[in-house]
Amino acid sequence: MTDHNKKYERFNVARRLEHILLILSFSTLAVTGLIQKYALNSISIALISFLGGIETVRIIHRIAAVTFFLEGVYHFILMAYLLYVKRKEATMIPGIKDGFDAINELLYNLGLRKEGPKMPRYNYAEKMEYLAMIWGYFLMGLTGFMLWNPILTTRIFPGEIVPAAKVAHGLEAVLAVLAIFLWHFYHVHIKKWNWSMFKGFLTHHEMVEEHGAELEKIEKGEPEPEIDPVVYKKRMKIFTPVSIVFSVVMVSLVVFLANYEETAITTIPRVYAEVDVFVPRTPTPFPTQIPSPTPDMMIANTWDGGIDYLFEQKCGLCHGESGGLSVKTYSGIIQGGNSGMAVIPGRPNESLIMQNQAPGNEHPGQFTDEELERVRIWIINGARK
Amino acid sequence: MKRINLLNVGRILLLLTAIVLCFTIVDMLNTPDKVVAQSEDDSQPKIDTTSNFYCLSCHAEAYNPVQLPSGENLYIQIELADFADSTHDRNQIGCVQCHKDISGFPHPIKTARTLHEYQLQRDTACIECHEVQANQTKDSIHGFLLSQGEVNAPTCSNCHDPHAQPYMEELTKTEHSEVCANCHNGIFQEYANSVHGEAMINDDNQDVPGCIDCHGVHTMADTSTAEFRNSSVYLCADCHTNASIMDKYGLSTQVLDTYVADFHGTTVTLFEITEPGQTTNKAVCYDCHGIHNILSVNDPNKGLSVKQNMLVACQSCHPDATTNFPDTWLSHYIPDKDKYPIVYYVTLFYQILIPGVLGGMAIFVLSDAYRRLRMKFIKPKPVEVPVEGEEVIKHD
Repeated sequence: MTDHNKKYERFNVARRLEHILLILSFSTLAVTGLIQKYALNSISIALISFLGGIETVRIIHRIAAVTFFLEGVYHFILMAYLLYVKRKEATMIPGIKDGFDAINELLYNLGLRKEGPKMPRYNYAEKMEYLAMIWGYFLMGLTGFMLWNPILTTRIFPGEIVPAAKVAHGLEAVLAVLAIFLWHFYHVHIKKWNWSMFKGFLTHHEMVEEHGAELEKIEKGEPEPEIDPVVYKKRMKIFTPVSIVFSVVMVSLVVFLANYEETAITTIPRVYAEVDVFVPRTPTPFPTQIPSPTPDMMIANTWDGGIDYLFEQKCGLCHGESGGLSVKTYSGIIQGGNSGMAVIPGRPNESLIMQNQAPGNEHPGQFTDEELERVRIWIINGARK
Repeated sequence: MKRINLLNVGRILLLLTAIVLCFTIVDMLNTPDKVVAQSEDDSQPKIDTTSNFYCLSCHAEAYNPVQLPSGENLYIQIELADFADSTHDRNQIGCVQCHKDISGFPHPIKTARTLHEYQLQRDTACIECHEVQANQTKDSIHGFLLSQGEVNAPTCSNCHDPHAQPYMEELTKTEHSEVCANCHNGIFQEYANSVHGEAMINDDNQDVPGCIDCHGVHTMADTSTAEFRNSSVYLCADCHTNASIMDKYGLSTQVLDTYVADFHGTTVTLFEITEPGQTTNKAVCYDCHGIHNILSVNDPNKGLSVKQNMLVACQSCHPDATTNFPDTWLSHYIPDKDKYPIVYYVTLFYQILIPGVLGGMAIFVLSDAYRRLRMKFIKPKPVEVPVEGEEVIKHD
């Protein structure tokens, strides 16, 4: 066995930066996404308030989504470079051996095998995670942009696809986050802390345990096959324009999808533009007084012939039976009230009634001029019964 | 009364008390006669000029209104039948308890130039007994408008005729709403043609909301505020999640849950909780269903179950929406095999996928943890177990 302190480079700086970008965008997406999915949970509400409200959370989510998307575009171009130009082995693609590795690892864990499998540069656990990542990338990207552009989506697909996309987007997120916690965190943080994504290398022991096959390969010292510079140039002539076109298309696509749709109006108009709030009803006319018969002045110039009616109408409300002057009966009016004689037969000017009813006097009940004239004549004629 | 007590108890003491009481009552009944009789004898009359009897002796038949400087008529006649039925008269409230400035005849000269001014002056009397309601009104949109000098805003007496107001419980929903209709007739006419209004006015249905069921009695809020909009959902939900009402009409009580679960409802609910003063452009109930003109979803002309009508409703906020767009909203349904199957099967797929994937992962993770713990705590058998593996673990 070789030196246990030997270090084996695993990820170069560019790949480590990619990973940091992924951590940032994925975590942001997970946090801002899950608080939207479980929006009415009290933790979510607290976080939403902290982040500045739901609309801000949505904007943050979309910014992180675009970052995540573009990181993916970069990754695909890098893969194209490594696989097409450099003709590297596609070490992330799972094969039958990985299935056996997984089974053997399980048996080994359970004590049914004496030795763990010798695994390649990327073992079954990492390949599984990478595939899940790629699957999630496409699914979340597709459903996410559908939710971002529901009007555009429904021009092409049936409307139901949007709520279906929402369900898929949310549950895929739950799956991804839980898988990260259970699988990724266990493998690189819990069972032991794996520094390779930050420091870039693995120790000899880690290599033995997780990438035995790769270690053997390295120790065999197989040299990397050199690429003929002419072939390299030839491949680059194809790779460079294709990758430029691809990145321009993808960046344009994301810019287009981020700006294409004005899904809804931003301000709701007042709901009642047409119907006025204040529309009074026409008031019901107040019941009018029943018209009184107009008695003939000449024949009615006695108490019973119409003067009683006149007094009843104009004075009877107050001068009833509650004390003082009463106009209810002939004797009452002749008898007078507390202030004296209301009617003195034959002498209108001395009758209190005439003084009371004189123009300009503020007595509440008031005869009209015509009525007053009738009363005056009635008194002059002796105020007959 | 006395006789019943007598029969029930039959005690001599009580009988004596009853007899004494009878005499007292007879005596009391005779008293007014005595007062009148005395006043006739005395030169100075002793009429109680503050009794309702005294006031009504004129005002029961005072058909001619007082004309105010504005030209408006102030009607001063009291309809005796209505007054007798009013809660004020039934509680023996005296005229002068409200009309404090009047203690007899002639009355003091009125200072109010308009009817509105006169009513505002009178309102000061209401607050003495109805403090809670008066203060609620001051905080309401009506009170706010009054404080702004809006002459069309209602005073107490615009809604409650103090001389005729019966107990609130004695009024039907329609009668309540007619009060509002006096000023809000445009809205009332819309309401009268709605599914709620028709049931209330035509069938005297007490399950449907009248004006005050949503707007409150004295607390009616400004409906143009963000607070009102954000909380309006619960106005509808109060009844529409109540199975005892909804079951009668075969209506779903899941309308709130399904709304809140959706994009619009989630947003509005969050706004209501976290920033109630901010207006959201996300739809609330009335944006789609209408406010006062709510119709049954099955209404052939405007019902939302007709897709074209739904599209029109969508387009009021999403002007670019096209034919398929209304289906993005699940119409308050919970997806199942027949209704929205795509959503149902996607959900089902994940209900299987998530536990499947996580369960598989858990088997590997737990078995790995088991091996590590076993190797750490149990002495490995000396046979063939890779020696350096153990060393390295210690080394770590």
